[in-house]
Amino acid sequence: MTHTPLLEQVAGDFYTNNFAKNAQEGSLILNLGPQHPSTHGVLRVIVEMDGEYVLRAEPVLGYLHRMHEKMAEVKTAAQFIPNMGRVDYGHALGWNWAFVGAVEKLAGIEVPERAEYVRVITCELNRLASHLLWWGAYLLDLGAFTPIMYAFDDREKLLDILQIPTGSRLTYSYYRIGGVAEDLNEDCIARIREFIPWMRSRLPMYKDLVSDNIILRKRIEGVGVIEPEACRRFGATGPVIRGSGIAYDIRRSDPYSVYPKLDFEIPTSELMDARGRYDVRIAEFEQSLRIIEQCLDMMPEGEVLVKGAPKPSWKAPKGEAYFAVEGARGKIGVYLASDGGKTLYRTKLRAPGFCNLSLFAEVSRGTILADAVAILGSLDLIIPEIDR
Amino acid sequence: MPAELIRILIGLVAVAVSVGLIGLVMVWVERKVAGHIQRRPGPFEVGPNGLLQPLADALKLVGKQLFMPDKADPILFWLAPVLSFLPVLLLFLPLPVGDGLLALDINLGLLLILAFSGLAVLSLLLGGWASNNKYGLLGAARAVSQSVAYEIPLLLSVLAVSFVAGSLNLAEVVKGQGTWPWNWNIMTQPLAFLIYMVSALGETNRAPFDLPEAESELTAGFHTEYSGMGFGLFFLAEYANMVVVCSVATALFLGGWHGPVLPGPVWFVLKVSLLMLLMVFLRWTYPRVRFDQLLNINWKWLLPLAVLNLLATSFFVKLAQTW
Amino acid sequence: MDALLKGLAVNYLAACDFSKAGKSWQVILPAASLVKAAERLHAADYFIEDVCALDCEEGFVVTYHFAHFAIPGRVALRVVAPHDAPAVPSIAGIFHGAEWHERETRDFHGVVFEGNPNLIPLLMDPDMADCFPLRKEPKSRAKMRDVLEAGQVVHCDPAFDLMTPAAPPDASDAAQAPAGDKATA
Repeated sequence: MTHTPLLEQVAGDFYTNNFAKNAQEGSLILNLGPQHPSTHGVLRVIVEMDGEYVLRAEPVLGYLHRMHEKMAEVKTAAQFIPNMGRVDYGHALGWNWAFVGAVEKLAGIEVPERAEYVRVITCELNRLASHLLWWGAYLLDLGAFTPIMYAFDDREKLLDILQIPTGSRLTYSYYRIGGVAEDLNEDCIARIREFIPWMRSRLPMYKDLVSDNIILRKRIEGVGVIEPEACRRFGATGPVIRGSGIAYDIRRSDPYSVYPKLDFEIPTSELMDARGRYDVRIAEFEQSLRIIEQCLDMMPEGEVLVKGAPKPSWKAPKGEAYFAVEGARGKIGVYLASDGGKTLYRTKLRAPGFCNLSLFAEVSRGTILADAVAILGSLDLIIPEIDR
Repeated sequence: MPAELIRILIGLVAVAVSVGLIGLVMVWVERKVAGHIQRRPGPFEVGPNGLLQPLADALKLVGKQLFMPDKADPILFWLAPVLSFLPVLLLFLPLPVGDGLLALDINLGLLLILAFSGLAVLSLLLGGWASNNKYGLLGAARAVSQSVAYEIPLLLSVLAVSFVAGSLNLAEVVKGQGTWPWNWNIMTQPLAFLIYMVSALGETNRAPFDLPEAESELTAGFHTEYSGMGFGLFFLAEYANMVVVCSVATALFLGGWHGPVLPGPVWFVLKVSLLMLLMVFLRWTYPRVRFDQLLNINWKWLLPLAVLNLLATSFFVKLAQTW
Repeated sequence: MDALLKGLAVNYLAACDFSKAGKSWQVILPAASLVKAAERLHAADYFIEDVCALDCEEGFVVTYHFAHFAIPGRVALRVVAPHDAPAVPSIAGIFHGAEWHERETRDFHGVVFEGNPNLIPLLMDPDMADCFPLRKEPKSRAKMRDVLEAGQVVHCDPAFDLMTPAAPPDASDAAQAPAGDKATA
């Protein structure tokens, strides 16, 4: 006769029990997630609470772990590119670029100049889409239901533009080893030229309606102060570190592609709190638009894929390479090692969100639960890239 | 006595019917306004322009299975939504919809309303506690501190108006106002009106003060575990509370049923609708206030201002009397 | 880098071509010097990028990538851990972000990081914590010298020959063919 355990005896899983080992007397242990409206994916955070205050927080990962690094050992280099679209759906082209750039570095493949410009344009458009998604979702977390609708309105235009060359709306696998799959045709370029002034005209409205709103300011000012030294210890990059005052952007520090020829600024903020990170991302809208405009004007004619570009059965030469790009969330790094065989020997995907999230446990200590949610949103996390 | 009783009974029936109707209309209005603010059409399919959508929603809610979580307390769990909805019917009785058109013409109309609206707090607490759910508990705790806190400025601002009118009977207060806006109490008590509206948002748990049901933090707060008609009753009660609060504001500050040309009840309904629309607009425009900031607003701003307002009012009333 | 790690026992130190390999310095250390090297890098304002491991014939090559906010270039610190009992001291006390990276490396390769405050599975399910998916079959492992970048050797411990090319195409002062053939434990 089977004995059904009573609810009291089912006392939490491995991670909750491990967390509860150090629990204080009288505190409440709560699981935020893995299904939760504001954890941006399947993230679980175990918090120990004393009333409304968070005493301790521990993110638990792995709910979206698909072991891309093992897939890279089973697929050839060229076959692995679609995986890069799924690692981070927010800035898929950034991951495309990081992987393809690493392979090109390893094999010494030169990319034609027009392809470089196309890559920059599409990557920056993707960055805009990612920031719009972040902005809408962040305000949804804070209780404002409307900005996400406006953001998605803008995003629809972007997705329609990006659909023309890539064929996808979200999970792009558009870059190839040695260039890009297809050129931007006349229609696409015309639409981009239309989009830029339209997007510029939306930004003042967002500022007046949302960024200067007193309730929003009270929710994010002073919340989640991250010292630059903490960023260094945890390896946080991207808007997280630029919001803490350090102007670290791969496009300037380790420049790649045609970025040295382009004129743009790296927005930083001295505020170090959620407001600083918010301001940095909003300022990056304008910078991305600038970059796209310059690229459209400077783009030469030519091929977009190098002659003799690797086919799917291509074997990478021996050696190792590390290539980093500036993604919407931070420094996307791909480390490859190859022994000359059919598939790559080791592929390591360095996700910016991974390091940004590891800050969370330290930053959220002692804050109110509502602030912890605000901090989580300000880190701009996309869980698939953290779990890979 | 029997005449009184009959009057109250008729009033109750009318109230029950209108609360149902109001619920239906408000659901449609809220979703349409939300849609248009968000640049989308809102409900569109069911009926012309989505007019029958609330009916579809109601049918859906009524038709759902009633179940409760395993370790929940059954009595308290099912008492909570009932307790949130039924007392609201009582709150409509002293409201003067037209000249002499009120179910309960007693001296303590305002006191009745304020007293019974306190029962809403109890229902929130029971709902969160009885769910056997940590989110529910947190939501309930928030709801209690919020409601208790915001009742005080509400009371004080209402008191200021009744000082001026000399009575707690809503019919009297309305009679004391005139036909045109410059004769309404909002002219003599603008601060009280502002304090009242903000406290009303806090009392009815409407955004930007909707922390007890903060979706993005607590999944659904105190009504996480409710579905079907349990949730439906909470929902209806929220809208009914909104109407009560706006009606009291209309009666106290905006001249009640006074107005040129059109009959009294029409003006009353128009004014209440305007205030409700304002509340709906606020919900879809502003982000949510953090909990400690919410309490700060109350204790550091609303309460001192309300006290000062009351003192000033009583001073001027006394001055006017002695003159 | 040479100057920064002066005084520590270092097996192999090479300057690499950043445009080809993506890193400026490659350092292979014995496990005992790892924590001190990390401390020196921390004091010199480097930040941790990631920690990963490769399964090579000679052992698990645990690789630490560091970069700097102001100085361009990347440093790769490597420690070779033997296959049968892979244990490496943890640098989570210095670079707190390494805690998660080390947990991930333990999940994928089974390398135990001594001193890591919370070495429970990060990405793998606790039930599959001993699965170690990125470990290779012995016959498909490659030698370190075939996979890793040799670079311009600045310093090489004479007893360390894991990176010495087996048959160099041209004689350079680092590669000594006879010495490369001598087996060392």
